[in-house]
Amino acid sequence: MKDTRARVISNQEVAQDTYLMILECNLPSSVPGQFVMVKIDETSCDPFLRRPIAILRQGDNSIELLYKVRGAGTLELSRKNSGGILSVLGPLGNGFSLSERNGTIIYVAGGTGLPPILALAERIRRGYLIVGARTRADIPLWKRMEGISGIKALAMTEDGSFGRKGMATDALAELTTQDPSPCIIYACGPAGMLKAVSEQARRIRARCQVSLEERMACGFGVCSACTVKTSEGSKRVCVQGPVFEADLVEWGA
Amino acid sequence: MMDTSVRITSTLTLKNPVLSASGTFAYGEEFSKLFDLSILGGILTKGLSLKPKEGNPTPRVCEAPCGLINAIGLENIGVDAFISDKLPFLCTFDTPIIVNFFGTREEEYELMAGRLNIEGVSAVEMNVSCPNVSKGGLEFGKDPGILRNLVAQVRKATEKPLIVKLTPLVSDIGEMALAAQDGGADAVTCSNTIPAMAIDEKTWRPVLGNATGGLSGPAIKPIALRNVWEVAKRVRIPIIASGGAGSWQDVIQFLLAGASAVEIGSASLRDPLCFRSIIEGIESYMYDHNLMSVYELIGKLKTP
Repeated sequence: MKDTRARVISNQEVAQDTYLMILECNLPSSVPGQFVMVKIDETSCDPFLRRPIAILRQGDNSIELLYKVRGAGTLELSRKNSGGILSVLGPLGNGFSLSERNGTIIYVAGGTGLPPILALAERIRRGYLIVGARTRADIPLWKRMEGISGIKALAMTEDGSFGRKGMATDALAELTTQDPSPCIIYACGPAGMLKAVSEQARRIRARCQVSLEERMACGFGVCSACTVKTSEGSKRVCVQGPVFEADLVEWGA
Repeated sequence: MMDTSVRITSTLTLKNPVLSASGTFAYGEEFSKLFDLSILGGILTKGLSLKPKEGNPTPRVCEAPCGLINAIGLENIGVDAFISDKLPFLCTFDTPIIVNFFGTREEEYELMAGRLNIEGVSAVEMNVSCPNVSKGGLEFGKDPGILRNLVAQVRKATEKPLIVKLTPLVSDIGEMALAAQDGGADAVTCSNTIPAMAIDEKTWRPVLGNATGGLSGPAIKPIALRNVWEVAKRVRIPIIASGGAGSWQDVIQFLLAGASAVEIGSASLRDPLCFRSIIEGIESYMYDHNLMSVYELIGKLKTP
């Protein structure tokens, strides 16, 4: 973990309200699923807190961030031009386990849960990538996902405007029925989707790792804001997560 | 030779007036990965209770203009785990360790103070002001008679410097500070977060799981500044400021208002390295203004 200055190289809208930002910065090396806390404005105290954003890709001296404009902070971030300076704290969190070598790999991304999942698929380069979204405009970087060697990308939209009509979990159920060989599932997305994915994984006895989202203040473990209930007690999403074994998480109603 | 140190009691001297704040520093481990904690004037640790405590439902934080509202709910590992698992690490740093604690009953405060009357603990800060728990704290901090008695009882249970963290939620904070002093407090911390709320107009629900929380950050600094000034007029014991400070300029302002030291809380969530720049900023300021001691600033506000 390091707090460092970052220079905006580019910041482009790649889907509706979704931006791909490339930053020149020197961070310790990260694993997919880890994130950074981005300070949006150095001089103004409004917005006050940093924003947690998953690392999509890390180069020698750069990182890529994919984020959706959801409020005042990310709106401000979307207005940054190349050459702009930000502060970046990271890499933070635990990231996905990369040790599984056997079996089919299925990545499930729902809505804004795409970045850490795409990061992982691009690292492992093997398996099925299911991308679920409300509508076509909510799917960024489709060409890039289709182009990952070793990855078969499947799009699901709720309104059927792109890929197939349905939920990401429909595609997951189909895949695991067609191919009942052992698999590992990695998922990130809305809590409802993660709960459903985790139940499917339990039924077929597949290992499943989920990346959780929770409101954070610090992002590095000191404020205890982002706790989640697990069978091993309450855990801080920012340092003991954001990636958890799905069967440990106590899903709410 | 410029001297940035301040003396809180005969056994508690801070090398500079910059402290971490309780609740935003956990038990020091995370921050120690970012900078050498020995540069601090002192470390205030996360508020402890007799038994481990779970805290409130999430969401526990939300942003507010120039600050944040939190309702963590005093989640902590309990005093015993702190002493065995956290204190030894904290003691490796060359800075006083000030342990914040709270209770739900008078006897619990006494027990806690007694338990913390051990080597390695430099001082204790008793919280009578957390707005986010149904029991424990706030009700002790609102009545001067009750507060005086509580402090007097805790005073008997510890030889450590005893700091009382006051609530801003009273009509006369000076009177509460005086009650703490009369009870035997060595210093007062002034003050805590300010009860606040956020509502989501889309869902018609409170944003926080606990419905209400405590506002902190730059938004409350002017209120804290005024509270320190009011308290400084009433008590002779040192005042530790807490509320919205995040820059060296803020620290200088709190010193002028009458504080002997200043806790940095919310600002360190945004900028974990701010302690370093604040301490350096104070040194530069003193050098530029030819000040030999921090005491040339404390309470030196010029008023008409």
